[in-house]
Amino acid sequence: MREVIKLGLILLLITSVAAVVLGITNDATSVIIEQREQEEKAQALKVLIPNADEFIQIEETLFADRQDIVEAYEGLKDGVVVGYAVKVNPSGYGGDVNIIVGFTNEGITTGIIIGTHTETPGLGSKIEDEVFVNQFTDRMTDNALVSVKRSVEQDNEVQAISGATVSSDAVINGVNAAISFLREVIMNHSSGCSCCG
Amino acid sequence: MKLKELVYKGIVTENPVFIQLLGMCPVLAVTNTAENALGMGAATAAVLIGSNFVISLLRKFIPSKIRIPAFVVVIATFVTIVGMVMKAYLPALDAALGLFIPLIVVNCLILARAEAFASKNSVLKSVVDGVGMGLGFTIALVVLGAVRELLGAGTIFGATMTWSSFEPAGVMGLPPGAFLALGMLLALYNKIASMKLKKQ
Repeated sequence: MREVIKLGLILLLITSVAAVVLGITNDATSVIIEQREQEEKAQALKVLIPNADEFIQIEETLFADRQDIVEAYEGLKDGVVVGYAVKVNPSGYGGDVNIIVGFTNEGITTGIIIGTHTETPGLGSKIEDEVFVNQFTDRMTDNALVSVKRSVEQDNEVQAISGATVSSDAVINGVNAAISFLREVIMNHSSGCSCCG
Repeated sequence: MKLKELVYKGIVTENPVFIQLLGMCPVLAVTNTAENALGMGAATAAVLIGSNFVISLLRKFIPSKIRIPAFVVVIATFVTIVGMVMKAYLPALDAALGLFIPLIVVNCLILARAEAFASKNSVLKSVVDGVGMGLGFTIALVVLGAVRELLGAGTIFGATMTWSSFEPAGVMGLPPGAFLALGMLLALYNKIASMKLKKQ
């Protein structure tokens, strides 16, 4: 019985020291990690809504019932909305794909930024390639985007990466989720107010 | 055993990957590029050196009955510290290695060195053993990563190494490529080792 207590106390001592050390490290690094994440996000928003000088987070309740939407922002210049950014995380081949989609205040895409993902290296990871990403710049968003395997003919078509249809579709689904949220909720909401009010 | 021999043993005669085949999970999983392999090797080596140091320091204090949980707590603490530091200062590498950083806790190489060496030897020898084994692990990972990156993408550390008409074999960057490359490297390593033995 005494030995059990002794062993337990020794383990307690070791784990307590470990906890203190970890607490100190966490205190030192968590500030830097958070700051870095904020900076990265601010930089991404700045790229997607270049003429905005202030970003306001859109309330979560507006997209709580929508799939794949994580965060949404309004970009303002001198207090007037000049664009939007919507962060989505559709599921790809290997897990969630984090994407931020930028829009002008008229609902035309300004581009997308592919964040962290776990798509297959060399195949699905090509969603990061410029050739693919640039297809999402300056898109009218009246119709949802569709993926095609041939070359693009219609305005709303996106050429999928050969050998990585699932990953390509994930990005397209994510962008479509952002588009429908923007058109059905945000823009509807604000234009509705100005018309009817 | 002299300190120099300890380092040599870790890198060559008892190389954790090529001879002992320890910690195969990260060896196969994150060596798709030389850069990832180097990051993983360095992170593992840092944990190994740290845990060898602390465990040899505490070897007379830790009763043998609870040595395994004690070792695991020490190792897990170092892994968590490495993970937090990487997230703060090397976010790109942290994103590339992802889950494999916390999984260093269960890398059997680290527990094996704690059990077989650090719990029985002096602090200095244990740290040197950690350096040797850590280097051996890192070198093996980088070699494997470089071979896979060269064949799979035509680059090493992101720099193009092949002629323009070179057609990369994408499979080398995927899990099967890890097994193929590791098998070939093991065969090569054993061939060289047996040739040396014959000479002697």
